Amino acid sequence: MATKKEEKLFEKERKAAMKARHKRMKAEGLEKYLTPEQIRYNRRKAVTGAVWPIFRFLILFGLCFVILYPLIFMISTAFRPSEQMNDPSIVWLPKSLTMNNIKQTWQVMKFDKSLLTTIRLNLIASVLQVLTCSITGYGFARFKFKGRSILFGIVVLMIIVPPQITTIPLYMQYAFFKPQFLAKLLTGGATSLINTGWTMYLPALFANGLRAGLFIFIFRQFFRGLPKELEDAAYLDGCGPFKTYLVVMVPNAKTSFLTVFLFSIVWYWNDFYVSSSFFTHNDTVALMLKNLDAQLQQDLFGGQSVSVRQLIVWLEAGCVLSITPLLVMYIFLQRYFIEGIERSGITGM
Amino acid sequence: MSEFEKDLNAEELENQVEEAAEEITEEAGSTVTEIAEEAETAAENIQVIGDEVPEAVEAAAETAEAAAETYSEPKAINAKPPKGARISYERKKQLYGYGFIALWIIGTLYFFIYPLIVSLVYAFHDTKVGSGGMELSNGGFHNFVNAFRQDQDYSKALVETLSNTALKTPLILVFSIFIAVILNQKFKGRTFARAVFFLPVIIATGPVIDIINGNMSTSGTAGGAEQFSTMFEANLVDQLLNFLGIYNISEKLTEIINTLTSDIFNLVWNSGIQILLFLSALQGIPFSAKEAAQMEGATAWEYFWKITIPYISPQILTCLVYTIVDSFVDPGNKVMGIVLNKASSWEHGYSAAMAWAYFAIIGVVLAIVVAIINKFIYYEVE
Repeated sequence: MATKKEEKLFEKERKAAMKARHKRMKAEGLEKYLTPEQIRYNRRKAVTGAVWPIFRFLILFGLCFVILYPLIFMISTAFRPSEQMNDPSIVWLPKSLTMNNIKQTWQVMKFDKSLLTTIRLNLIASVLQVLTCSITGYGFARFKFKGRSILFGIVVLMIIVPPQITTIPLYMQYAFFKPQFLAKLLTGGATSLINTGWTMYLPALFANGLRAGLFIFIFRQFFRGLPKELEDAAYLDGCGPFKTYLVVMVPNAKTSFLTVFLFSIVWYWNDFYVSSSFFTHNDTVALMLKNLDAQLQQDLFGGQSVSVRQLIVWLEAGCVLSITPLLVMYIFLQRYFIEGIERSGITGM
Repeated sequence: MSEFEKDLNAEELENQVEEAAEEITEEAGSTVTEIAEEAETAAENIQVIGDEVPEAVEAAAETAEAAAETYSEPKAINAKPPKGARISYERKKQLYGYGFIALWIIGTLYFFIYPLIVSLVYAFHDTKVGSGGMELSNGGFHNFVNAFRQDQDYSKALVETLSNTALKTPLILVFSIFIAVILNQKFKGRTFARAVFFLPVIIATGPVIDIINGNMSTSGTAGGAEQFSTMFEANLVDQLLNFLGIYNISEKLTEIINTLTSDIFNLVWNSGIQILLFLSALQGIPFSAKEAAQMEGATAWEYFWKITIPYISPQILTCLVYTIVDSFVDPGNKVMGIVLNKASSWEHGYSAAMAWAYFAIIGVVLAIVVAIINKFIYYEVE
């Protein structure tokens, strides 16, 4: 195997040789070497090769702009004083920068507290969810048992059924959790799990958290793609299935684990529907952001109703606050988001 | 079950299995000891998982017994290993399979199937929240009848959501295939472009997108996003047509084209996952196919239709289903809005009925779409 450096060198040499040959062929007259069709084909290829990159750049540039515009707008707005919002002479760059919006929004959202709550909920639920979903996915991928296809049908159903259908019965189940002593054990005395983290942890522990169906599906596809010989070797060496799973399969599925973990974190972070059903106190960042305009009116304007246009700087500051942790994570780990999912087995449909 | 009880239970069962194993060993010699041991390990493993213990251990003991029986009356002197041993291996694997998904089965029964059934029951009743849970009364189909007969918003919203989805889905698919093909080519700044295109995946599922879209819950006046959307709503299509010398071909047609083009913001922001899926599919196209196409002198156009599309066709189905489901389930669409509204105003039965009717319609649409598309999909035979 040649190293990367050497390969680059070879590529260069190959190109130089090609060029030299073309030059020679052109000098002697192309018709001698190629049929007319080939000449036409090459010419067309050369033209598209020259024009296409320009088009590609334009398309990508335009679309990247569409995606980045709200983010740029968000940053531009979040740091400008509220009065300057109505100044028509300001488009992008405010005349002065201020941290006041961020500070005030931080207080209104109780950001330090809600951030900690969110991170705690998020990490515990995601870790549990990834572990249990991978075990389930492995079970579906590698073992034949009666009713497997029906059970897997239920997994697909979990993907399709919107959570809105099951939320209210689930709420009742949590509010009147049975058996009672277990609820008391978990919450330390109360009989209802509402407003405790267990409404997130319990489903995650039993592979039924947010979008668990999708994760089970991803893991199943991935484990199916791994060669069977891996396990056979482990079995021959005397590993039981559980040990095989832990020692042989998990290390091989690292990228898959990371991808699912990252997606799980993102979805738990962004979720406001499920958490708003089970938390009445607006503890998480997403819930705070969802109710930010009402909160702002109450805290900053003394309960008067104010139009969104007047609130925009604080709203955007709230957006900046709540997506910064995700963005930082994304910037450092985007390689895993993108490459991870390419290898994580969604391909092997 | 408390932790303690669980332990107790498991210990008891373990003892039982050990006893059974001993009995069997006495009857049938050393091979069976092994099988019993296997049953024991199976029991141990299953014990880890918890509540499923009783049936699983019993089954394991049964397996061991069955194996013992077949062993005690050997048929042939040599030849293959006894038939019973093979069956027991298969059954053992079955048990392990159940062991692996046991957690999920328990969870799904409790957190998915049961709530699903309960919400179906709600749909057929009038509901009232009481002190000890939901109180049901007055069973019958009236919730469904009301939803379609009397509620004026519901049917309207249903039609709107359906037609919206029908319009949006093919657009998103075509767009994301196009972008995926571009992002799959080699050029400078590809990593950056990919990172930007997947950004919506991270942001678009959260409440941030609402603020970006200017749809904050309380007031109608949009914030800064207004400025943004007008930027793209400039009547480009009309101008283009006028420029080409075409005036007023048809009001309706220009209107449709306009809604499509002005919606480019939503289009881009909603196709992150689809681009990701298509990109991963594109990378699965074997290099040999590309090489062969080049040898035959295929143009990029031909390559796209004859190589790319067939290879990624299974992924097209996945994306199609994902897009349809995503668009139906989106809390921002009108039907979901009505359903959630009714739920928050304590009309749980009515809201459940609406959600179920809606869900049934989604199911039918999906089934039809999948059945049609499935005919055109090319699966590589291995």
